[in-house]
Amino acid sequence: MRPATLFALLLLTLTAVGLLASLHGRQRAVAERAGQAGRDNLTRELGLTDLCLATEARYTRHPAVTDDLVPFMDYPVALEHFPTGLFWAPLP
Amino acid sequence: MRIFLEKHLNLLDYALSSLWRRKGKNLSVFFVFTLVIFLLASFLFLTRSLLVSAQITLRQTPEITVQHMVAGRQESIPLSYMGKIEDIFGVHQVSPRVWGYKYNEVTGANITVMGLSRSPLLGEEVLAEGRFGAQGEQGWAVIGQGVLADLDLGSRRSFSFFRPDLTLKPFSVRGIFAPQSNILTYDLVITGIDDGRDLFGLDPQLATDLLVEVVNPLEIATIARKISQVLPDTRVITRPQILKTYQAVFSWRSGFAAICLISALAAFIIMAWDKASGMAPEERREISILKILGWQTPDVLMVRFWESLALALVAFVSGTILAYIHIGYFQAGLFRSVMMGWSVLRPGFDLVPVVSGTDLFLLFSLSILPYLAATIIPAWRSASVATDSALRG
Repeated sequence: MRPATLFALLLLTLTAVGLLASLHGRQRAVAERAGQAGRDNLTRELGLTDLCLATEARYTRHPAVTDDLVPFMDYPVALEHFPTGLFWAPLP
Repeated sequence: MRIFLEKHLNLLDYALSSLWRRKGKNLSVFFVFTLVIFLLASFLFLTRSLLVSAQITLRQTPEITVQHMVAGRQESIPLSYMGKIEDIFGVHQVSPRVWGYKYNEVTGANITVMGLSRSPLLGEEVLAEGRFGAQGEQGWAVIGQGVLADLDLGSRRSFSFFRPDLTLKPFSVRGIFAPQSNILTYDLVITGIDDGRDLFGLDPQLATDLLVEVVNPLEIATIARKISQVLPDTRVITRPQILKTYQAVFSWRSGFAAICLISALAAFIIMAWDKASGMAPEERREISILKILGWQTPDVLMVRFWESLALALVAFVSGTILAYIHIGYFQAGLFRSVMMGWSVLRPGFDLVPVVSGTDLFLLFSLSILPYLAATIIPAWRSASVATDSALRG
């Protein structure tokens, strides 16, 4: 078998693996959507404003309703020091 | 056309054989390139998945949230503000809410405690067991899965938190949230508003914030503006603003992280340039022999192009698939510690990877195109090497 054919087969195999993973992801997304009605009710009835992803600091737990200066509230020159601030902190 | 295709197929054959001949060097380049693409793609997919998840999960978030601001900080809001908001035409309902954080000194976990003014109209599908407390009932709590584990309740259905004066406030667990809602409720304790005030030592005439429902969702911005005019010492947060906050946070962070990862990509491109520039004597000899055999400079250039493209394509597809698996099946394990930091309560959220054409195009433009550019110029230099001098060594 010539190298170009082998290369094409390798690329096709990789693409097929990618497509299979993506199809599986699509199925999971459909399953996820099935439970969304319950989460919608929960958000509406409890008045939830944020996702529970990082719970270490109030400004990373509730970025939508927190004060912008919360990271610096503890004392006047306190620096924001939580690791999740790298990902979650409010915009400067 | 057939001759053109045949020629390029032959050149591709030659390029692949050439790659295989120097497999040690090329495999190391392949692994590093795949790793860089994997990291970049993982971050792009992760932020896209979180953004989509936030947009879907929070689409029913409160239409308007009103907070009281004193000296630039958020303070408790007087209940007397409710009447002023209710008087605004288009407001359907105003509900006070008391919420805050309780720090578990034993485990170091932060727990969000929320006191509601009315019993939520929710079916049992959101609860793994139990029910919500009835209107007027005292001392009830519905807790998230993380709180259940953190307080180590086991089969017990009661717990206590300290009030500010260090007396104990007892709660009876009436229900536990289902794990399917962990992304919203993992660290939550829901209770009645009076119990919330009792726990936080809040005056009965105060609440943490007010939730405003409007009759027509199209009027959210107008009513929010009116609330700001009537109550200038408040901060008014609307549903679209909350969704925009998440978009801004994720876009900013993904851009920031992408810049860091692009540095790694740049380092790799420099390495690729360096490797392609420093031609081994065997390679110079090979090119000279090819040229003596009648190959033209563009043919040699084309072989180098096919070599780079083949390696880059396989690295791109492999890195992207690995990134997809990393996000979809390993829950972004490599980035989890950055996302969670020192969080003690770590919700076991189930990320569904979202891959958009824009992200793939961005990834392609950031990785393959610079790599091809970094290898094509040294390839041209190697293709124009003087035949006799190379053969003489």
